[in-house]
Amino acid sequence: MNEQVISGYKSQSLGLHGTIPGADQLREKAFSNFEAQGFPTKKSEDWRYSDMRQFHKQAYGLVDHAAKPELPDMLGETAARFVFINGRYSEDLSDLGDLWQAISIRPLANHFMSNEYRVNELITGTDAVSCLNTAMLRDGLVLSVPAGVEIDDPIEIVHVMSDASNQAAHVRHVVELGEYAAVSVIERFIGDDSAYWTNSVLQARVTEGAKLRHIRVQEDGANAVHTAKSYINLDGGSEYICTNVALGGKMSRFDAEVRILVDGAKAIVNGVALAGSGQSHDMHVHISHIAPHSSSDQVFRTVADSHGKTSFQGKITVAKDAQRTLADQSFKALIFDKTAEANAKPELEILADDVKCSHGATVGQLDDKAIFYLTSRGIDPETARQMLVAAFTAEALEKIEFDDIKEALSGRIATWMLTRTATPKA
Amino acid sequence: MAATAKTKQQVEDMSGDYKYGFSTDVDMDMAPKGLSEDVIRFISAKKDEPSWMLDWRLKAYRAWLKMEEPNWAKLNYPKIDYNDIYFYAAPKSQNKPKSLDEVDPEILRMYEKLGIPLREQEVLAGVEGAAKVAVDAVFDSVSVATTFREELSKAGVIFMSISEAVKEYPDLVKKYLGTVVPQRDNYFAALNCAVYTDGTFVYIPKGVRCPMELSTYFRINTENTGQFERTLIIAEEGSYVSYLEGCTAPMRDENQLHAAVVELITLENAEIKYSTVQNWYPGDKDGKGGIYNFVTKRALLKGDNSKVSWTQVETGSAVTWKYPSCILAGDNSVGEFYSVAVTNNYQQADTGTKMIHMGKNTSSTIISKGISAGKSHNTYRGLVKVLSGADNVRNYTQCDSLLVSSTSGAHTVPYIEVRNPSAQIEHEATTSKISDDQLFYCRARGLDEEEAVAMIVNGFCKEVMQHLPMEFAVEAQKLLGISLEGSVG
Repeated sequence: MNEQVISGYKSQSLGLHGTIPGADQLREKAFSNFEAQGFPTKKSEDWRYSDMRQFHKQAYGLVDHAAKPELPDMLGETAARFVFINGRYSEDLSDLGDLWQAISIRPLANHFMSNEYRVNELITGTDAVSCLNTAMLRDGLVLSVPAGVEIDDPIEIVHVMSDASNQAAHVRHVVELGEYAAVSVIERFIGDDSAYWTNSVLQARVTEGAKLRHIRVQEDGANAVHTAKSYINLDGGSEYICTNVALGGKMSRFDAEVRILVDGAKAIVNGVALAGSGQSHDMHVHISHIAPHSSSDQVFRTVADSHGKTSFQGKITVAKDAQRTLADQSFKALIFDKTAEANAKPELEILADDVKCSHGATVGQLDDKAIFYLTSRGIDPETARQMLVAAFTAEALEKIEFDDIKEALSGRIATWMLTRTATPKA
Repeated sequence: MAATAKTKQQVEDMSGDYKYGFSTDVDMDMAPKGLSEDVIRFISAKKDEPSWMLDWRLKAYRAWLKMEEPNWAKLNYPKIDYNDIYFYAAPKSQNKPKSLDEVDPEILRMYEKLGIPLREQEVLAGVEGAAKVAVDAVFDSVSVATTFREELSKAGVIFMSISEAVKEYPDLVKKYLGTVVPQRDNYFAALNCAVYTDGTFVYIPKGVRCPMELSTYFRINTENTGQFERTLIIAEEGSYVSYLEGCTAPMRDENQLHAAVVELITLENAEIKYSTVQNWYPGDKDGKGGIYNFVTKRALLKGDNSKVSWTQVETGSAVTWKYPSCILAGDNSVGEFYSVAVTNNYQQADTGTKMIHMGKNTSSTIISKGISAGKSHNTYRGLVKVLSGADNVRNYTQCDSLLVSSTSGAHTVPYIEVRNPSAQIEHEATTSKISDDQLFYCRARGLDEEEAVAMIVNGFCKEVMQHLPMEFAVEAQKLLGISLEGSVG
């Protein structure tokens, strides 16, 4: 791997020393792990569908200026909004509502000031990109919900990138749910046309009976690269419901690493990806059933237009002791023409015998018969296609419990369909 | 509720007591241990090969030296020491036998013990009216007997060992050898190219429907001998052939390496049906010994409207690494893959298929059934790829796994890569144990538990078993070791 790239990141990481109490050693450890493996290439099995070349050419710098970009409207009714500009928390632009009365929310640096030892709870990661996120630990939120507290409206975290060509933001959020607590987190990613890199990690510990709803809306700028990882650990009877919507960026990648550690937990990870010309969306889910009597479900729907590419690698592992596991996975992809591409690798790895695991995957184009049916009822073909795509993606949005947010996202999909260039022949 | 004790026992018996585990005393003619250019020259000289063949081998060997052993499969085995293997072993016979009577009686007796009727009059245990099966027996590395040659040659079919073909039909061999699996295709294929000792060559001329099913029984003997067969089957325009491959091996303590290459080529309107029952020594109950089986099988569907159907029943070998594939180049060509893989004790199987769709209106079907017992691991690994020029491709994939023990593993790793919007790709996979509902249903109708389990397991594999030729289906059923009571066929 390019020496200059490595040394570039090394000096960046060293430059961050002292910014977060207790984190220096963790950064060093993560960096040496990153250095040992370097950025993945096409030959790395987990990254075979993503083009990583830009990462090998040059080191993305750390953004050092705080721009004042315009903020987007909220997706729906929210309890609070936290804003990150170019990877740094902006207190001025954030609106805590009256959330502070119920739960503790602190920036990373403040959180570790009083309990430095807890830095070790941060997940270093094993892959190069997560390791680099840890090595560049700089900012993020620590959100702790006390036992029994349920927050009804979602909390929105908006990440805005502005005027940040060849620069990167490595953000880390930590979510901790006490027993029987419940919270919803919306992560949004937006940005301008500069060629920036967002590298975000969210880690969550969901304790007994607690419930975490997680919605990710990726609308990065047209030249952006987006990589993100969620590390979720589930205790007994807890629930994790995630919906990931990938719309923006030139190349995007989302990884969900969900571990069911104690009996009876439930994990749902769904996703929609729409790839227009030159875009590539790569989604990875690994649900690992370690304890018995747990269940998991994955529903992914992707659409690739001309020169667009969507990929999905979903893995379900069931450990030897995880008897009575129920796991299901469904991936469906639409491709609009011969320049579009859809890849899937739905993987099962099962070591227990009393389980029921299944996966299904389909790739195809919109059903001619369905289009014919709609047009025969007086609907023009364009609208018919939009309706079918809306119905196709709706399955993956179903688990969003907030109607206004679900509607806003369906709206995004409808708008995307209006701007399609490829017109598949009926 | 888990599978019944009896079913478990039956599955365990399959590999536990290997009844074909005996070895035959025949003098062997060997190359020195290990691999070098000299050993390859030795093999080539022994086989009296033309110089182009030797060059071809050496080219493969030089490529192999630069390659790395693949490690992406879900397989764990000690590193193979290629310098501790005899790459050539042939039964000592000065002159090639002219007829079966001249074949070493030891070998004939061995086949008899295995219940394989080599003699013509014993074809299919003398069942009247049964299809005739031609047997090209491979004893370690050299074909020792070929039957039915006359009848086949009347039809114009060439069915002989590949070393004979190299001498008798050098142009045909030169034209097709290595066109489907090139020398540097993968590590084990390159090794095979360098040291292959024998194998089968089949050529079906234009418009000929092969009058009988062709069959080769492979057998590995002699300690520490890797066997490297090379099979090449060419089906000319409008021809049809059904080829059976079956294997058993004597019980040995040391691991034996096996790296075969099978190449199939179909021209316009041709069809090849390739069936395998693989029952090599899987190692003992503690995972000691057993065959390492690294096979590259690939079909090139060159002509339009051609068809290749792979059917395999895999019950043997300690390690199986095998992906019979189809390159669907001709328009309207059809590829099929039907597989049953049973693993037990410490066996590991990583098997599946690749369907590469290049031609228009091509279709493929993949049905894979994995049954894991004991402490074994069974992996399905497959690829369905649709290139952008391949319009109206259709693929249906189903891979199901059945777990018989809580200490075994079942894995599914399918890849789907599509670049044409008119493709219709469907993939389904399930992993489960025998469902209580099914058991209950059967029992409510008066079947006892064992019968019910047998019936369900039969049903689980039926989709694949029914694609085997009759002669093989019987053997395969025995291998599955489940009391069938005639419900599956």
